[in-house]
Amino acid sequence: MTSVKLFANLRKIAGTKEVFLTARSVRTIISELVTQVPALANHLHENGQIRPYIIITINGHPTADLDAPVNEQDEIAVFPPITGG
Amino acid sequence: MNGWNGKVLEIDLTTQTHKTYPLDMEMARLFIGGRGLGARLLWDLVGPEVDPLAPENVLIFTNGPLTATGYQTSNRFSVTTKSPLTGTILDANSGGFWGMQFKKTGYDALIIRGKAQKPVWLEIKNSEIAFHDASDLWGMRVFALTEKLGQDNNKRNVLCIGPAGENLSRIAAIMNDRERAMARGGPGAVMGSKNLKAIVVEGTIRTEIDDKERFKFMLYETRKLLAASPLTSQALPEFGTVVLMNIMNNIGALSTRNHQQTQFEGAEEISGETLTEKYLVKNASCWACPIGCTRVSKTEKVEAEGPEFETTWAFGAQCGINDLAAIIEANSLCNDLGLDTISAGSTIACAMEMSEKGYIDSDLRFGRADQLAHCVEDMAYRRDLGAEMTEGSLRMATKFGHPELSMSAKGMEMPAYDPRGLQGQGLLYATSNRGGCHMRGNMIGLEVLGLPKLIDRFQVQGKSSFVILNQNSNAAIDSLVICKFTNMGVADEYFARVLGAVTGVQYATNDLIKTGERVWNLERLYNLREGFTSKEDTLPARLLTEAPTDGPSKGWVSQLEPMLKEYYRSRGWDQNGVPMPKKLADLGLATL
Repeated sequence: MTSVKLFANLRKIAGTKEVFLTARSVRTIISELVTQVPALANHLHENGQIRPYIIITINGHPTADLDAPVNEQDEIAVFPPITGG
Repeated sequence: MNGWNGKVLEIDLTTQTHKTYPLDMEMARLFIGGRGLGARLLWDLVGPEVDPLAPENVLIFTNGPLTATGYQTSNRFSVTTKSPLTGTILDANSGGFWGMQFKKTGYDALIIRGKAQKPVWLEIKNSEIAFHDASDLWGMRVFALTEKLGQDNNKRNVLCIGPAGENLSRIAAIMNDRERAMARGGPGAVMGSKNLKAIVVEGTIRTEIDDKERFKFMLYETRKLLAASPLTSQALPEFGTVVLMNIMNNIGALSTRNHQQTQFEGAEEISGETLTEKYLVKNASCWACPIGCTRVSKTEKVEAEGPEFETTWAFGAQCGINDLAAIIEANSLCNDLGLDTISAGSTIACAMEMSEKGYIDSDLRFGRADQLAHCVEDMAYRRDLGAEMTEGSLRMATKFGHPELSMSAKGMEMPAYDPRGLQGQGLLYATSNRGGCHMRGNMIGLEVLGLPKLIDRFQVQGKSSFVILNQNSNAAIDSLVICKFTNMGVADEYFARVLGAVTGVQYATNDLIKTGERVWNLERLYNLREGFTSKEDTLPARLLTEAPTDGPSKGWVSQLEPMLKEYYRSRGWDQNGVPMPKKLADLGLATL
């Protein structure tokens, strides 16, 4: 199963820092995540699409490609919109 | 006069006299205020023959036409001078309340010249200017001094230096409103060299607004825009800037142990999440700011503002330290002594590496949180190794025979984001006019956060155009003098409209960005006049030749050379990085 690490307020909402999921793409990982943790739905999805400014990395590489493949040994990190200086 | 007050106050500390004269409004139209106005004034006032710590250097405090109008984040102000750390042009800006109050005294700029024979502090109440003996205040730390001089956030505001500035630390900050800092590049040392301990302001003059109805609607619209942006309404208020720690570590761009690595195993312990969970008391705001990014943190020893991400990184990952309480305490100590936290932390890290390698006789070691406080104190008071560290990492490392261990650009210690993981960020540091600085046009929005869109962080070709746009935009915002976080919810074109509503001068978005480009090129000209060349547009050898051996940035070094060539071309500069006549003419700088 793929490790999905959660950060910032997503941890508090999910009640955990890490979830293990089975999915084939970034898009389906997020869908699975919302299925397993319904409390995350409004924070990750908007009108059935992934919300803008959600940051997703695959093995430490930020991606905007929702169809990017995800393998079992990959590590996914999901951040809500964040910024700083 | 709308927006601007139309007046400049000049104070001569040598003769203890002052004069007021009209602001050149053509200059104001072209450079607006803040950083831009400061750069233009410094060009005329301080040439290459002037040592930064000589009386002939000046301090130029500037606000902008939006300052004190009540527009969101219209509290910021700038100081411009020649940097004692880098020798370049330097501007630093700060939030809080002092800038707003200074605008209310009726001036757009305050120029401090000369040197007092003995320590003084200044009091400015509109047109009443008083020189006070500061002999009994010399030596006081910032917190106690600020209280003694009567700080009242909305009525009377104190700007001062601590012992670091008095002792001419090249990384000394100017502090305002107790815990706000104009820190990078050592402006506190310039103030100390003038025997100037503090400037207190109290004002009553309202800023006139040209189109009050339109401006009122813009206040309403901006409030809505900032409330609608998850960045300004949730991310920054809830977690502050330290929330960046985990993501920068995750992508392998968190410089660690003096840039020897790009990931830190202790990142989680010094993250924004941990700060919020274990140490946060509340958040706080500057004047007229609805965002509230400031943290107020509490440990067993202190309750204080901060820390910010850069501070937490500098005393944290950069020093191999995962003790967040020690970092919070070091931050507060820097504020009380008046020191730049980024330069302080990164210089300590440089000393740690030199010590571990036997280049200096010291017990400093990476990971030793217990050493932070006395290092900071020793820097402020020039004690022991602190006397070398307080000169900045490049001078210190050079003295001990290893300049290559200073993680600096143009002599200013670089911040957290590692250029080997972010190609554009490396170009930004190398070309920054004030030295290694992320606030000149931070690329993490584009290269990491997808703000407004995600670009390939390892891409080299074409990267310079993004860097240039960011640099020009940031220079424009610094010249309005509002907070860059407002830009997370409000676009540049909106600021142009706000400026028009306040001043009555119509600025298109292009005009505003062109102002930023003008400021950037003027700063470049200033540095060229000082003797800087394209040779100084570079990064430490470690970042150009030593690739990380693990993590997501494994195998990457900064590909600076091709990006720099492209950058010069795109800027309209020649191959040596000198702005060409056509570019200068286009920007109205041909006569300089």
